[in-house]
Amino acid sequence: MSPSRIAFAAALLVPALALADTVTVVTSFPKELTAAYKKAYEAKHPGDKLEILNKNTAAGIAYVREQPAGSRPEVFWASAPDAFEVLASAKLLQKVDGGNPAIPDKVGSYPINDPDGLYKGQALAGYGIMWNTRYMAANKLPLPKEWADLAKPVYFSHVAISSPSRSGTTHLTVETILQGEGWMNGWAQLLAISGNSAAITERSFGVPDGVSNGQFGVGLVIDFFGLAAKNSGMPVDFVYPSVTAIVPANIALVAGAKSPDGGKRFIQFALSEEGQLLLLQKEISRLPVMPTIYGKAPAGYPNPFSGSIQAKVNFDSDLSESRYYVVVSLFDQMVTFRHKELAQATNAIWDAEKRLGGKASPQLEEARKLVFTPVVDDRQIADKALLALFKADKKDETASRQKAKVEEEWAAKAKANYARAVELANSAK
Amino acid sequence: MTRVTPGIVVIALAIAAFLLAFLVVPVVTVVYTAFSNAEGGFTLAHLRAFAEISLMRESFANSLYVAAMTVLFASLLAVPLAYLTVRFRFRGAVVIHTLGVLPLIMPAFVGAAAMQLLFGRSGSLNLILNDAFGFTVPLMEGLNGVIFVETLHYFPFVLLNLAASLANIDTSMEEAGQNLGSSGVRLFRKIVFPLALPGYIAGASLVFIKVFDDLGTPLVLNVTNMLAPQAYLRVTSIGLEDPIGYVICVILVLFSIAAMGGSWWFVQRRDFAIQTRGGVSAPRRRLTPWQAVLAYGWISAVMLLVLSPHLGILLLSLSKVWSFTVFPEQFTLAHFATVFEDSTRMIWNTFLYCGLAALLDVVLGTAIAYLVLRTQLPGRQLLDHMVTVALAMPGLVLGIGYLRTFRGVDLPLIGPLTASWLIFVLAYAVRRLPFALRSCMAALSQVHVSLEEAAENLGASRWHTVMRVVVPLMMGGILAGFVTSFVTAAGEISETILLTSRESLAPMSYGIYLYMQSIAGRGPGAALGVIAVVLIGLGTWFSHRIVASRSPHDVPGEKT
Amino acid sequence: MTPVAVELRNVALAFGATQVLRDITLSVAPGEFFALLGPSGSGKSTLLRLIAGFNRNQSGQVLIAGRDVSAIPPWRRDVGMVFQSYALWPHMTVAQNAAFGLEERKLPREEIRRRVAAVLELVELTGLEARRPGQLSGGQQQRVAIARTLAIEPQVLLLDEPLSNLDAKLRVQTRQELKKLQKRLNITTIFVTHDQEEAMTTCDRIAVMDQGVIQQVGTPMELFDHPVNRFVAQFVGSVNLFRGSFTRAAGTLRFSSPAIGEVALPAALEPPGAQGEIAFRPHAIRLTAGDPAAVEGEMRLTGTIEGEEFLGEFLRYEVQVAGARVVVDHAHARGEPSLPTGTPVTLSVAAEEIRFIAG
Repeated sequence: MSPSRIAFAAALLVPALALADTVTVVTSFPKELTAAYKKAYEAKHPGDKLEILNKNTAAGIAYVREQPAGSRPEVFWASAPDAFEVLASAKLLQKVDGGNPAIPDKVGSYPINDPDGLYKGQALAGYGIMWNTRYMAANKLPLPKEWADLAKPVYFSHVAISSPSRSGTTHLTVETILQGEGWMNGWAQLLAISGNSAAITERSFGVPDGVSNGQFGVGLVIDFFGLAAKNSGMPVDFVYPSVTAIVPANIALVAGAKSPDGGKRFIQFALSEEGQLLLLQKEISRLPVMPTIYGKAPAGYPNPFSGSIQAKVNFDSDLSESRYYVVVSLFDQMVTFRHKELAQATNAIWDAEKRLGGKASPQLEEARKLVFTPVVDDRQIADKALLALFKADKKDETASRQKAKVEEEWAAKAKANYARAVELANSAK
Repeated sequence: MTRVTPGIVVIALAIAAFLLAFLVVPVVTVVYTAFSNAEGGFTLAHLRAFAEISLMRESFANSLYVAAMTVLFASLLAVPLAYLTVRFRFRGAVVIHTLGVLPLIMPAFVGAAAMQLLFGRSGSLNLILNDAFGFTVPLMEGLNGVIFVETLHYFPFVLLNLAASLANIDTSMEEAGQNLGSSGVRLFRKIVFPLALPGYIAGASLVFIKVFDDLGTPLVLNVTNMLAPQAYLRVTSIGLEDPIGYVICVILVLFSIAAMGGSWWFVQRRDFAIQTRGGVSAPRRRLTPWQAVLAYGWISAVMLLVLSPHLGILLLSLSKVWSFTVFPEQFTLAHFATVFEDSTRMIWNTFLYCGLAALLDVVLGTAIAYLVLRTQLPGRQLLDHMVTVALAMPGLVLGIGYLRTFRGVDLPLIGPLTASWLIFVLAYAVRRLPFALRSCMAALSQVHVSLEEAAENLGASRWHTVMRVVVPLMMGGILAGFVTSFVTAAGEISETILLTSRESLAPMSYGIYLYMQSIAGRGPGAALGVIAVVLIGLGTWFSHRIVASRSPHDVPGEKT
Repeated sequence: MTPVAVELRNVALAFGATQVLRDITLSVAPGEFFALLGPSGSGKSTLLRLIAGFNRNQSGQVLIAGRDVSAIPPWRRDVGMVFQSYALWPHMTVAQNAAFGLEERKLPREEIRRRVAAVLELVELTGLEARRPGQLSGGQQQRVAIARTLAIEPQVLLLDEPLSNLDAKLRVQTRQELKKLQKRLNITTIFVTHDQEEAMTTCDRIAVMDQGVIQQVGTPMELFDHPVNRFVAQFVGSVNLFRGSFTRAAGTLRFSSPAIGEVALPAALEPPGAQGEIAFRPHAIRLTAGDPAAVEGEMRLTGTIEGEEFLGEFLRYEVQVAGARVVVDHAHARGEPSLPTGTPVTLSVAAEEIRFIAG
């Protein structure tokens, strides 16, 4: 027995000796998952009480920030790695020693845990495409395989996507596409897909929910949403496109928490074999970070360690973190708040294409450029001043106003572009 | 009138302190934050920033649009129904009365999820329409969905207020018009509607405010470009420091006060004390066959619409799979089992918070009513006015106000206030107090002073008189006020979403909202919704029974 | 304008299972001031409203100026109704109220203005055109209601208990004014009231109603002096009524009543049959203390004073006669003291003051 294993086993015995604590967990995970963990954890540590604070990622970060040190929640548990980066750089996370030695350091070439040890991977997630089988059949839509497929005219008004500002996982998906296809191409795809969308949902859950009940045909979702729905009997299916990344969902101990020992216990539990096994439950359907668990999974269960999921993208979370606020705001200004105009413009372009039957047309080209080009190009996104402006403190009045001004510019430009594109497309010959 | 004693003064001051601390200060904090800069000085910069953000302008316009359209459609639904019940004799009158109550027992956001399944893009209605006729109706797209759901939920306010108003018109007013040569639509336009207008305005303005301020329904329907959701989203994801959120709150409050004040002013100006003076009132008219067809047709259509969220939520709670089909496929009771297993805590929380809040309300209500009606304490009207201010406070604003004002406040035994159960009780109590107060005032004004004087004449102290004579005589009104407070608090979501910091503290309404966030959770969420509706329905029925036996002229529709 | 006649032929009306009007046949002469008199529930207001057209599912016919109007809705009948509550529209001024009917008839504005001014002058309300009903006294409101109706110059004027909401003094004054106005305009008027004094002082003829049936139609004096049944006798004026049996024997007429015992009646009277009632008015009784001699042609009763009420013009005594109370109205002379309780008295009623009621 290696020392780390002994230490780990000993750590598991600690709960029996420890005092009772209330462990508060801030998480964006759905009720099925938190309920399962709560039940199992409290059964194992009868003295502890687990409190779940359900918040979407952005709200969770804001919440942790706003609590004074000493009364903060114990655990932060979410899908988006950059959320943890944000918290880490704000010195809100505390290092946890130990951990499950059965968990490897990398999945593929992506590190599972934070190199500084401030957060640990607890599950793995990929991003993919989910569809409603009945909807697709009824509307005679081809089954998609890659993100680029969803940019095609045939999917107009059948797609659903959430906004990165509302959903950490959508932000990850967006960043994955941007990193995989490059800034300009990535945006072209994203804008086309968004133009094809029937709605930009408020929470990431709105997408799989809508696909599940047949409101939408296709949605961009995190894998466990699609898999859980499918395994729960809904008429849906799920696929990993090649431009995807397997990224860990992390768990971390918040610095200045009320009961840090309790927090540590929960984290240990989540990383233990018992905690990992919970992820295989039908309604949860997540990918454990402990490779041996997959032996206990049902047949056909996706396994990121066996290479069955083709993940082309090496996710650069530093890059993601550095431009987080700009990307999020840009998406909102160009897509979320302008969705009606974007969809209109996209529709006009598809109509024109159909009308022209493949013939080239300068107006149509121009229209395409107007709609599917981001108002911030790849040179501007590297501009440190811009990035710094968006990271500025909210209390800074001048910065806030300037930021608002920049956002207004983007919004105005996007709106004008879409309107112009509609004119051009309609007049294209 | 009883003499002012030190005891009375103490009680009055205590009540005033409560209202100041938990109503006035939070609201003032919100307003202050909207207009103060980082140093604490006055600034209009945030207001300017608000006006400059196109999303905010759009949200503002959308909120106004949605509220106005809801009033329009609610009127279209309610006006014919009100006229039918009051002026005609037909068996459907009971149905209309039920129609008036059904929507109010289901909180709008609970029904909204089910409405998606029934009327959404691939909902039951559109599937049928598409198969049969090849077209679909975008009833639930974007703002339309919000308008649709809100109309069905709030039209009873217009219906009940208008019906009461119409019923109060001496029928001889209409007959005089007929006698002098007027009839039909002209008679309605020149005589009936102007006389009923105060009631209509009261109902319509109430609907406008409630829709303008509503947070739950747009959130559940994924509509974020309206003022209330924007404020919520900004405050939760950008932070409690975000000034734009507070500017939005100020706008919400201003509009609420304007609508309330405008309606009150209008009613005062046109307040015709219309009383029947013992003339033989005409029996209600019979419907001609043609009119009967139209009437019953209209009622059936409205009935179906009104029942659809209830039906939808019931189906959803019992369905295993409901996707892209007109009706769910497999049925199961598993969701109810899940709810009873997992959510008994939430049900208990609802009873605790709403019960305590309602209790607090009737105690305060009785005390204020007594102070206002039975003492000569200078400034007692101020208490009444302060409570009325609570009517104009959107739940969202009060929630944000509490979070901001009591941030960091730590109480002995309870811990941080904003993360405790107590904050719910306070928030619910403050916002329901106006209705409880009204009930208590009405009840007390029916107790003649001579009854108290007789007790005092026989040697009872003031306290004993109140406890042994006044309160028992007021009990009907107190109970009605209690139940109303309870029931409306049970369905409330705006404050709740903001104030729920941890799941173990969540009441049922939050639980429903939470459940609706996961696919496997929609079934249990609907089941919990069904339980909530049953609870609220029972409470409302109970309250109506008490009210009906007490006074025939209460207008229940103004409570929620 | 020429006055018209109003006629009702076999009019009956039921509300659900309740029969409210039974077989009403009535004729009102042109220009007549006619009253419908009866207690509440007698159907008089219902009948009035029926004439106005507010209950149209009756059987029988309603004729105005000889034309059957039963099927015509109220807004086309051209009868003017003044409601008991006046029904003035609070959101309109006095002038607007008065002009309403004229506007519905689409008269030119000048014409309307002229007629409104004229009719307000008629009821002496000139100068109050811009007031709202809420700012007027009860008497003024009533006049506005009348003016509003008269403005359209209806064929028939219907008044539903117009005086019942006024205080006592105003009532007397107003009924005199109404009578003068009616005579001046010479418009056929039907007036509903429960107060027999009102009906008797103002109207040309009265129909007494009870439980949906017309009991008697006649001039005030006819009703008072010759009531046809117990109801009319009791309703119009006050009366002493006793039931019993009549026997003739040896040139005398005896009346046996369980109430007042054996009474000798003037032999010249013709009783209605073996059984019946005698009726005599309180003011027709001559009351004397003690036991004076009998007078030929009078009915004589003896009893004792049980109570009295001083009504100013007369003293109302309650006299215990055998097993019943007889009400006697004794004219009061100034200074004359009342008789104390227990005084034995003799009551004498002249033959012509005794009425019989059959059955």
